[in-house]
Amino acid sequence: MWFLEGVIIAIQSIWANKLRSVLTLIGIIIGVTTLIAVVSVINGVNKYITSRIETLGSNTFIIDKEGLITSEEEWLRARKRKNITVEDMRAVARYCDLCEDVGGTAEPSLTKVKYGADYLDDIWVVGATYNYIDISDVDIDYGRPLNESDDIHRSAVCLVGPDIVTNLIKYGSALGKDIKVGKYYFRIVGVGKSRGSFLGMNQDNWVVVPLTTYQKYFGKRRTISIYAKAKDMGLMEEAQDQARSILRARRKLHYNQKDDFGIMTTATFIELYNNLTATLWLVLVFVSSIALVVGGIVIMNIMLVSVTERTREVGIRKAIGARRRDILWQFLVEAATLSAVGGGIGILIGILFALVLDQVTPLPAAVELWAVVTGLAVASGVGIIFGLFPAVKAARLDPIESLRYE
Amino acid sequence: MLIQTNDLWKIYDVGAEKVQALRGITMDVKEGEYLAIMGPSGSGKSTLMNLIGCLDTPSKGEYLLNGRNVSGMSDDELAHIRNKEIGFVFQTFNLLPRATALHNVELPLIYNGTRSDIRIKKAKESLDLVDLTDRMTHRPNQLSGGQKQRVAIARALVNSPSLVLADEPTGNLDTATGVEIMQLLSRLHKGGNTIIIVTHERDIALYADRIIYIRDGQVEKEEITSGN
Repeated sequence: MWFLEGVIIAIQSIWANKLRSVLTLIGIIIGVTTLIAVVSVINGVNKYITSRIETLGSNTFIIDKEGLITSEEEWLRARKRKNITVEDMRAVARYCDLCEDVGGTAEPSLTKVKYGADYLDDIWVVGATYNYIDISDVDIDYGRPLNESDDIHRSAVCLVGPDIVTNLIKYGSALGKDIKVGKYYFRIVGVGKSRGSFLGMNQDNWVVVPLTTYQKYFGKRRTISIYAKAKDMGLMEEAQDQARSILRARRKLHYNQKDDFGIMTTATFIELYNNLTATLWLVLVFVSSIALVVGGIVIMNIMLVSVTERTREVGIRKAIGARRRDILWQFLVEAATLSAVGGGIGILIGILFALVLDQVTPLPAAVELWAVVTGLAVASGVGIIFGLFPAVKAARLDPIESLRYE
Repeated sequence: MLIQTNDLWKIYDVGAEKVQALRGITMDVKEGEYLAIMGPSGSGKSTLMNLIGCLDTPSKGEYLLNGRNVSGMSDDELAHIRNKEIGFVFQTFNLLPRATALHNVELPLIYNGTRSDIRIKKAKESLDLVDLTDRMTHRPNQLSGGQKQRVAIARALVNSPSLVLADEPTGNLDTATGVEIMQLLSRLHKGGNTIIIVTHERDIALYADRIIYIRDGQVEKEEITSGN
């Protein structure tokens, strides 16, 4: 009951001093807007990355030369390791009986792709085994995937991303057309589904050719990433251990030598991603919270003015029986309401802002209910914290002096 | 006895010197009495009113209201006493400017947690008592001085207090309106209310049954009037 009374008084006084209220609330509005927008973008990026990582499948693991690299030093060291070869991949396929669907891709290269007189620069060309489609997040839109026969015969065939079709083939069906990748011609047999762009990077600009074909035309010296799937989720560890032993044996590692290759799973990717970004996100949220603190100080300032202006009102209320805590509550609720209103407006603008960011910029954004609720709670909290001092001041006013105040 | 004061002193520290605003006031007020406190400015009558109204506590001495010793009470206990036992009427009305007449009258009930339906019913009854039912939804700036004072009186009465304490209730009103207000107070007195008015005008004081004259912080004399 008391609470409602305070909220009504607060809304009345906000309404009675519209210009002042707007100016007062700008700080909180900007603070909450920034916070909601930033949190939404963080959320969006996290969700996107996690979902992309998860397309790999939770029981798939990847073996490559470098493993997960987190520093330049590590990278320089890892570059010197022995390449992983197609023979390594075949050994895993043959001897790892807890694995199924063992495949691989060669390190991709950026190449010029031509069709007729038109050409596109810097297209990712990937050499991949025929089961690549099963383990990657690429889906075939139309045409056919690569098959075992392509691999065996080193066929000059390729799958292309939808942008290649749009920008290079332009007219007629892409299937059966020959495009020139580097110096050689490949026939398009399938076209992938669009994956959109992420962080400004186009993800539909690619060519996949059979791994064996790739090696024939672009050289055998590139290292290979091996993709393997454990037969069962519960066999993940054992399957990885099997694959590890096979590679260690092939690469003649002594028992006290470390692996000279890396094994990665969805979990390790997500963990790495979280490790890399957690601090960044924290800093972002912290920096955008500063505006909220400034907003709180503005609220405190205006509440102090309000207490002084309404000294007589406090005197009247005390004379007719308001206790200290009644006055304290009144001003606290008023400050909290003021900033909650600001928070509400900020949330609306923040959501709009996030949606616009999502549409207009390459940043993905996802507005979440918890962020909205937290935003409102944080705004009210700021109001209460910064409203406390003025409210205490009001509660301590002497009734006799307040009644005399002009 | 509604009010008993026993050797009330109030001493203010103003820098180095001490100001003795009240110097041993002993007085009684019976239930249902109509008392006027008179005195020139600086006599200490406002200080006395603040003590009787429980807005302040004495430096020395005892003040019993309804048999309860109020002298040593905390701020919040005093607030409770003011809310239940005392209805204030001020010279400057002291209404909340942004609230309607009804809400102003409701206010004391809000602070003792009365349910809102009962609150509104009581506030309406109280406004009816001062003949202002038709001005319920008006704000103070839409009311004349006399109407404002009547709203203040309605607010003072809404909690059925033991005592209505009026501080120069006609001070900001013209003579005719002042007379109206004094007649209203007389009517309330006849209805059983205990009323104390503080004034420096003898004409006003004469409405009361008894006048206590204060000078230099002490009771100078008492006078029983013929009453009006």
